[in-house]
Amino acid sequence: MSTPVLEARDVSMVFGGLKALKGVTLTLEEGKIVGLIGPNGAGKTTFFNCLTGLYTPTTGEVLLKGNVLPGDPAKVTDAGVARTFQNIRLFPSMSVLENVMVGRHVRMKQGPLASLFHGPAYHRGERAARERSRELLAFVGLNNLDDELSRNLPYGDQRRLEIARALATDPAVLLLDEPTAGMNPQETEATQQLIFRIRETGVSVVVIEHDIKFIFGLCDTVSVLVQGELLVEGSPEVVRADPRVVEAYLGKPPEEVEHDIEAAAASAEEEQA
Amino acid sequence: MSTSTVSTSSGSTTVAKRSALAPLGKPFAAAAGVLAIVAALLPWVTFTLNDGNWPDKSTLQFFDAPFAVTGFRWHVLLIGVLILVATFAPVPSKGRVVRALGWGLTVVAFVNAAYITVKGGGLGAITAVEGATAFGAVVGLVAGVLAILAGYGIGIGPVGEWNFKVSTPVAYLVLLVSFGAVLYAVAAMLTTGGVGSANPYAGAIFLSFLGFAGGLIGALSGVGFVRWLSALSEQHRVFSVIVLAACALLLPFTDAGNEYWMTVAANIGIYAATAIGLNIVVGLAGLLDLGYVAFMGIGALVAANFSGAATAHFGIHLPFPVAAAAAAIVAGIFGAIVGSPTLRVRGDYLAIVTLAFGEIFTRSAQNNIGGITNGSNAIPGIPPLSLFGTEFNKSISIGAVKLPAGVLYYVLIVLLVAGTMAVFANLKFSRIGRAWIAIREDEDAARAMGIRTGKMKILAFLIGATLAGLAGAVFAHKNGTVSYESFKFLESVTLLAAVILGGMGSIPGAVLGAALLFVLPEKLRDFEDYRLMIFGLALILIMRFRPVGLIPDAHRRAEMAERADENAEEAHVEAKKA
Repeated sequence: MSTPVLEARDVSMVFGGLKALKGVTLTLEEGKIVGLIGPNGAGKTTFFNCLTGLYTPTTGEVLLKGNVLPGDPAKVTDAGVARTFQNIRLFPSMSVLENVMVGRHVRMKQGPLASLFHGPAYHRGERAARERSRELLAFVGLNNLDDELSRNLPYGDQRRLEIARALATDPAVLLLDEPTAGMNPQETEATQQLIFRIRETGVSVVVIEHDIKFIFGLCDTVSVLVQGELLVEGSPEVVRADPRVVEAYLGKPPEEVEHDIEAAAASAEEEQA
Repeated sequence: MSTSTVSTSSGSTTVAKRSALAPLGKPFAAAAGVLAIVAALLPWVTFTLNDGNWPDKSTLQFFDAPFAVTGFRWHVLLIGVLILVATFAPVPSKGRVVRALGWGLTVVAFVNAAYITVKGGGLGAITAVEGATAFGAVVGLVAGVLAILAGYGIGIGPVGEWNFKVSTPVAYLVLLVSFGAVLYAVAAMLTTGGVGSANPYAGAIFLSFLGFAGGLIGALSGVGFVRWLSALSEQHRVFSVIVLAACALLLPFTDAGNEYWMTVAANIGIYAATAIGLNIVVGLAGLLDLGYVAFMGIGALVAANFSGAATAHFGIHLPFPVAAAAAAIVAGIFGAIVGSPTLRVRGDYLAIVTLAFGEIFTRSAQNNIGGITNGSNAIPGIPPLSLFGTEFNKSISIGAVKLPAGVLYYVLIVLLVAGTMAVFANLKFSRIGRAWIAIREDEDAARAMGIRTGKMKILAFLIGATLAGLAGAVFAHKNGTVSYESFKFLESVTLLAAVILGGMGSIPGAVLGAALLFVLPEKLRDFEDYRLMIFGLALILIMRFRPVGLIPDAHRRAEMAERADENAEEAHVEAKKA
């Protein structure tokens, strides 16, 4: 088996007394889409923050193509892991094009002197960055909006702009945190197609999402995170059929719950006696 | 400056006013126009004041020469005519234009009325006394208020849009004429009212002129001309820069071409250059620096010590370019040192760190630490700069034209400001500038984009401090004395005020802000004890009516608009709840 492009080994994260992640392991093979699902508070975003260097895991490590990732978001991005945010975090008063060009930052070679004196190398670099940014905007379907301020875009377009901005860093792995939150079915469908097209360009993708239908239609493998622990991992079919996943999402069947309550009451009585 | 009237956000109160005033808009405007013209022709003072005739023949003697309308009376007349034109001609965004002119008129009338009242010892001076009547000021005020109300009545629509394209030669001509007009206005603004205390009414004349100019600029901006012009100059950027530089260099040939105003203009230039440097730190990278003037002080001290002055610590006299470079480098190093806490602290906490640094600098300099600052004795006797044997503080003549003393300093400082502007503009539109703005907007997102935020923030401090150090070196030679007193906390605050007042992240804003902050105190001298109070009041008013600054940067404008949107939305939601 070849080296996985991204690998999280036994990642734990503790905030004070709260164990947000308990030894989560995840592997992402090149050219695959991995889904990460779980109820609210399961630790999905915390896990993402560990992958991107925003948090340094309490134990465990994250490897990109076999190399341990540094604990600094900027360096992680430089190494080839890009992300989007659950609550969109564009640069609101920069134009659409400028937002994507900020994404080009790590791939541009323009130093302080070139920035200061605007020689021929500066113009070549800027032109190249602009062209690449326009390509990416066209790729996600945002044409002719270059000079619009990003805050003026409709919600769905802002999500796509965030993806274009992340792609501008030429990532090997793209992490999408709830890319379809708040979208209607058509937009969700378009996002799915967009993620497939991103995979075709050779970028591997990890997606956090609540929309189970979307995840099962999209991902090659799905991991379920519950209370900081990896519950199940496998193909969508396997995960869908697993009773523990159903339980984590829907709770136990009513009769079982009743049984549990009776048992609890009984044990309480026993204690009193 | 009453350009502040231009983009007052039309809040709910405005809407309410508009509905009540709507039918009265045009009649009010027409009446205001006529009354303004009448006011210009009426006498304004019932008797001759102790300090002499109120300027521009505004006493009863005026009627010896009824058509000699000059000065503020000419301004009032012009505003009246313009109000009438705006009322009856198809002018875009009529409401804004009339309102701006109304504010201009109100300021002119109020300033003159208030001065006459105070100097004349009572309201009798502007109404009726001993059988003489002079209702010019009252009529002018009424006309001004009417015009403002008329503006709301007509409705404050969006700023007019000019979409027509012009060929390059025409564009050049428009830019040339416009910048020429700016040069004329600057010269007029500097010289109006005369030098210092030569004219007892200088303060009033200046403020009145400011009101008039503000009203006109407001009207032009309301029509959409200002926006169109700035788009045009953006399109022909190189040409605009050349013309602007030429205009700046032509100032010594105007009325402002005497030693006094050259000195004032040079001082403004030094502070403008420093303000632009501060604008990199505050405006682009969004890092609040409350001790910035210390870097200018460091630059000035370094330059002073290498100037060969008798009291300098080092007895060597380096040539100015070398000394200036040393000053810039040392200041830059201190900038990087002060910037390094930015890795750990954000926002208010960073402001406190920089405040502390500024204070450390002042105290150290006061106590002559290391023997290089001379403490409260300062370092006097710094020799003036000289080039080919011509000292910069002497007057020079080119052919038959004799230029005032200090003109060479002025030219040097114009070059300094131009250079600083170029640095700012080039950085702003570069990989680094984008990184700074990204950090300002959302630091975590910026880091997720691969921006090494720590390095970038230190770089912002370093470059800002370098520019301040350079300005400080010029300051040392220009003033001949360097004392810690010139670099106290108040100066930092004034510089920050210049940046915020002009518009954060905007170059012309920083220059205008510095100009206002350093000209106003000069011009308000005859208010003596009250001048700082009036100055503070003016700042509050400007920030109330134009929170993004006088010439805002596009990014900032967007941010504030966003906040306004949010507020409006919240208000809407709350209204629904209730």
